Amino acid sequence: MMIPLVQNETLKLLRRRRFAIVVGIMFVILVLVSYSQYRQLRQLKNANWRADLQERIARAENRLRRGQINAAWARSMRAEIRRLQFYLDRGINPEQPTAPLVVRTFANAAGWLLPLLVAVLGSDIVSAENAEGTDKLLLTRPVRRRKILTAKLITLWLFASLTLLMGAVIAYVVTAPVLPAAGWDAPTYNGFQMSGNAFKLDAVRQLPLWHDALIAYGLQWFALLAVASISLMLSVIFKSSAASIGTMIASLIGGTILTRVSPDWTAGKYLFVSALPLADYYTGQAPPYDGMSMAFCIGLLGAWAVGALCVAYALFTQRDVFG
Amino acid sequence: MSGALEALHLTKIIGERTIVDDVSFTLQPGEVFGFLGPNGAGKTTTIRMLVGLIKPTHGTVTVCGFDVRRQFEEAMRCIGCIVENPDLYRFMSGRENLEHFARMLRVQRAEIERVAALVNLNHRLDQRVGTYSLGMRQRLGIAQAMLGSPRVLILDEPANGLDPAGIREIRELIRGLAAERGMAVFVSSHLLAEIELIADRVAIIHKGKILRSGPVRDLISSQRMMEIKVGDVERAAAVLRDRGVELTTTDDLVFAAIDEPAAPPLIAALAQNGVDVFHARRRVQSLEEMFLEATGGETVD
Repeated sequence: MMIPLVQNETLKLLRRRRFAIVVGIMFVILVLVSYSQYRQLRQLKNANWRADLQERIARAENRLRRGQINAAWARSMRAEIRRLQFYLDRGINPEQPTAPLVVRTFANAAGWLLPLLVAVLGSDIVSAENAEGTDKLLLTRPVRRRKILTAKLITLWLFASLTLLMGAVIAYVVTAPVLPAAGWDAPTYNGFQMSGNAFKLDAVRQLPLWHDALIAYGLQWFALLAVASISLMLSVIFKSSAASIGTMIASLIGGTILTRVSPDWTAGKYLFVSALPLADYYTGQAPPYDGMSMAFCIGLLGAWAVGALCVAYALFTQRDVFG
Repeated sequence: MSGALEALHLTKIIGERTIVDDVSFTLQPGEVFGFLGPNGAGKTTTIRMLVGLIKPTHGTVTVCGFDVRRQFEEAMRCIGCIVENPDLYRFMSGRENLEHFARMLRVQRAEIERVAALVNLNHRLDQRVGTYSLGMRQRLGIAQAMLGSPRVLILDEPANGLDPAGIREIRELIRGLAAERGMAVFVSSHLLAEIELIADRVAIIHKGKILRSGPVRDLISSQRMMEIKVGDVERAAAVLRDRGVELTTTDDLVFAAIDEPAAPPLIAALAQNGVDVFHARRRVQSLEEMFLEATGGETVD
């Protein structure tokens, strides 16, 4: 019974050209990324990357010594220093751009860009039916409301997944002609962890790039499904798609600002935006608050998604549909 | 068997306001039921309760024996509807719209051709609904409602936005569906003339309450009047009162509450008593006049 309903929702989503817009945005961004990486590659050819790494480490240490930066920022900077030192010690150039590396990096960029794009996809999946008056027909057919909302959720999850996949594919297709196309088995080092002020090297994992990328994309995929679920709830709550997309963007950007400005307000770690860049945290960036382990972040996003879906289903199945 | 569509004590209260107040009616298969009332009388809220879009505060709706709240899917399989405007997906073609709803009903694709032919829309089916005129969207809405051959059809203001030819076409279609297929058709309207032409029975709703309901013919014939133009109104009134006729008068007219068969002897009596009779004709009170009378002359828009 679900397949024809998902087919309907897919048709409507494609016909509203939302997915085309999202893919277009990703394409433009990735073309720009690919061009900048190409320029970097040409500069790197005659640059001494070891000196470059050493300089970056020195610069970061100087800023730390000078103080004047808040605790969260200092913590992540210290982690970055150890990470760069780690590459330096092993003779790996972390900046050598290759097409697979751009694909891998896109997983991290996706932590901020793709939630916005998924919000664009999901913002009007329910509210547009309301605004255009088509809900009167949709909800008077012999299909229960919860099935209709489930079809919309499945469709949104499907397209959120597809967006991530398309991002990876476009990243490769756009960069492969101008950057080295091989390098899927290049070594990567992840899992740099701080324990107090000590740097725990035993948690560092060495994985081939493809394996590392799969994990990063898997984490980001989970985060996107959570964003899609929240976006569905907003689309149920608000009658206009502008209101629901606006709320989503405001909470994404506002939440980020909040975690940067007031790292002392520890309740901020329960905001879903704090946990959103899962791939960043996996790569080694320190989360903005203490006690945000990977398990915590995944659990938090899961809880937000479940909560949002409960609200969405309760509202959608119970409410009166007026004009 | 109970009716095809049965509303029992439907009431909707929002906050302090009672929007629909204890509305009950039954539709039998094969009849066209007119639901008449001015805008804001509670017509659309009632329709939304009939099709499960709004939960009634009290009362129940039964379609083909299924309770709309408890057996939603079974009840909705039996019903086709247009609520308010025929809003369909404007960014899709007519055919895609019909396919969309056919998939929800799980009916065959051949059904789409059949319902499109029913409303004469085959030739424009592959164009975007956004390019349709209101009349075409109204017809597409009816085609959509006919998918799956429902036994009950609910049409909210089907004459809206149609030209006179279009209205006649829809009227014939509706009468045909009721007469030939035995469908029960619920038609709402604020146009009295429209309901008079299309409906077998009518309920008049005002401020959420049903003021009157019954067969259209009865509601009209119960109000029969004979209009007689005479030379001397006072003498004519005296003659008629002597014979037990209730009447009202104007300067040169006498309105006598009599049926047609009673007319010839009374006219003869008037002539015998020297009253000049210029004309006598039956005056049928229109639904409009009846409506104004029933609502105490409040404005109808």
